[in-house]
Amino acid sequence: MNRYFRELSVMGALAVVLLGLAIFAPAFFQPQPLLSLVTREAPTLIVACGMAMVIITREIDISVGSLFSVCSVCAGLLAARGWPLILVLPVSMGVGALLGAINGVLVAGLRLPSIVVTLATMVTLRQGLNLIRQGEFVNLPESFQWFGLSQSAGQWTLVIFALLFLVALGLALRHVAAGRWIYAVGTDAEAARLAGLRPQWIVFAVFVILGALTGLAAIMNLVQSPQVQPMVGAGLELEVIAAVVVGGVAISGGRGNLWGAFAGLLLLTCVSPALTHLHIEAYWEKAIQGAIILLAVVADGVRRKKSNNG
Amino acid sequence: MSSPSSSRTGWKSVVLSHEMLLAAVLVAEWLLFYHFGTTTNRRGMVVGFGTIDRQFDILRHSCEIGLLALALTPVILTAGIDLSVGSLLGLCAILFGKFWHDAGLSIPLAAALTLLCGAIGGGLNAGLITKLRLPPLIVTLGTYSLFRGLAEAITHGSVTYTNFPPGFLFLGQERWLGVPTQAWVFLAVSLAMWLLVHRLTFGRSFRAIGFSPEGSRYAGLPVDRRVGLVYVLAGLISAVAALIYTARLGQAKADAGTGYELFAITAVVLGGTSIFGGRGSITGTLLGVAAIAVLKNGLATLPVVIRMNAAQEMSGLLTGALLLLALTGSVLPKLLSGLRTRRHGG
Repeated sequence: MNRYFRELSVMGALAVVLLGLAIFAPAFFQPQPLLSLVTREAPTLIVACGMAMVIITREIDISVGSLFSVCSVCAGLLAARGWPLILVLPVSMGVGALLGAINGVLVAGLRLPSIVVTLATMVTLRQGLNLIRQGEFVNLPESFQWFGLSQSAGQWTLVIFALLFLVALGLALRHVAAGRWIYAVGTDAEAARLAGLRPQWIVFAVFVILGALTGLAAIMNLVQSPQVQPMVGAGLELEVIAAVVVGGVAISGGRGNLWGAFAGLLLLTCVSPALTHLHIEAYWEKAIQGAIILLAVVADGVRRKKSNNG
Repeated sequence: MSSPSSSRTGWKSVVLSHEMLLAAVLVAEWLLFYHFGTTTNRRGMVVGFGTIDRQFDILRHSCEIGLLALALTPVILTAGIDLSVGSLLGLCAILFGKFWHDAGLSIPLAAALTLLCGAIGGGLNAGLITKLRLPPLIVTLGTYSLFRGLAEAITHGSVTYTNFPPGFLFLGQERWLGVPTQAWVFLAVSLAMWLLVHRLTFGRSFRAIGFSPEGSRYAGLPVDRRVGLVYVLAGLISAVAALIYTARLGQAKADAGTGYELFAITAVVLGGTSIFGGRGSITGTLLGVAAIAVLKNGLATLPVVIRMNAAQEMSGLLTGALLLLALTGSVLPKLLSGLRTRRHGG
């Protein structure tokens, strides 16, 4: 069977959903709402790229949602003090990288299971933020809206940047040595160590990168609205992990790529507007997303079982 | 990963010391809140942490999370994890409301059906994990989303079931023999779990599986069946917790039990159960539950916290930090011995 069967099947599913929408709900393809929808998902794509790398190393990070909120609020507070975007961006990425480093130290340094570590940091960060901010909104200066550009120019900037980033990182993972290291560690950490790599450092680095990318995504989200709402990243972790797993990145590490994750994200993104267009109540969204995650892992499991038997 | 060289008595003394330490922390915590959280109001009545009512309140509030923690202990002993228990609690609460209110079933029948649904929910996890050999983490992450989503879909995100008969509310709001009614349920489940995990060969196999699934299989244990049972049991106990939750609040809503899985996992890990499986005890989990419950409720009685109106955030923050500390503490000995052997081994 083709080695990219998994990715191709997700893209096939996406094509079917898009086709279905084209037939039953052509309104979905109106350019302006579609652009808005894609722009809203651009930050998610950036986080999904980082998450894919973490999952390829056989770890997971469910604290990204809280990280996203902390970065957003930090960036928003600085922006409100009159800092220019060019300074706010590195600070936001730095805060993200620092918080990612905490996860990285606990996971790679102390060899604790990442799921429990990031569960703890998720809640600690979220509740810490709530404690300090008490749910207050931060108003942003006008100049932050769409980088000071017009709305459609800003939207195109975000979308094109996110796509370029995806392509660059996706190619790097495939063709740059450092990208291969990530796969090596996820496939067999011990073999990678014997081959002269330092698995713990690579895992640490991947968590830091995910943190920094979350900081970047927070800024990309920030420029889309006039104020920062502290609950902004809640649930982001599930959305991102679902996209990555649906896209064929194996939770057991060492397998998958960003193209699949991208297709997975698009597929899940289509769910909620498809529900509205097909007149299904929006309350089903979470259940359907959960079902899609389960379906994706079940497909993996069945395929693996077959290949083991055959 | 494990240290096979340590003798049985040495292993036992480690667990014992962990539990003793936790018990000491619990007592210290309690005394602290007793000292700072108890005040006398204008009419000369003692209010705050030091009252017997408050102590019963803590017991009442810790039953649901305590039940989930009990359910998770065998799961984590087998080196698994179940993130879906909080969501399943929500789904079961809704289903119970639906069976009783919409389908017009009697309370006992509705409760029995709810327990069945909980077991089916756990069975879904069990089937995916054992039959298809999928990682428990991602399966239960999926069902975490699925169960909560179903609860929201069934209630359209807004329906709340209320007006339960007093006979049912007795379970959550009244006292029986002087103690909150649900505490008796909690006690019974605790005893049953203790017997299962510590006294029956059947349950002791959980630890063997957690230590080495492959070794257990060679030793002739039906690993898949035992692991599956653990998740079904977790689902069943989540349903029990759902009934108690509904009875305590007098209402069933789709957001019931949101975030409870974190508190439950924290209690289990704090209680000394290794997240890598194979090691831990029910007693430890109960102490962990008590430590978290006292912290959560005690904080709400401190004048500083009352003034800031931040009891919920504080308890969440401290629970998260506590989990991180407990995790770090749990690997420190291993880490130190690892460094030592590396130095000796060259």
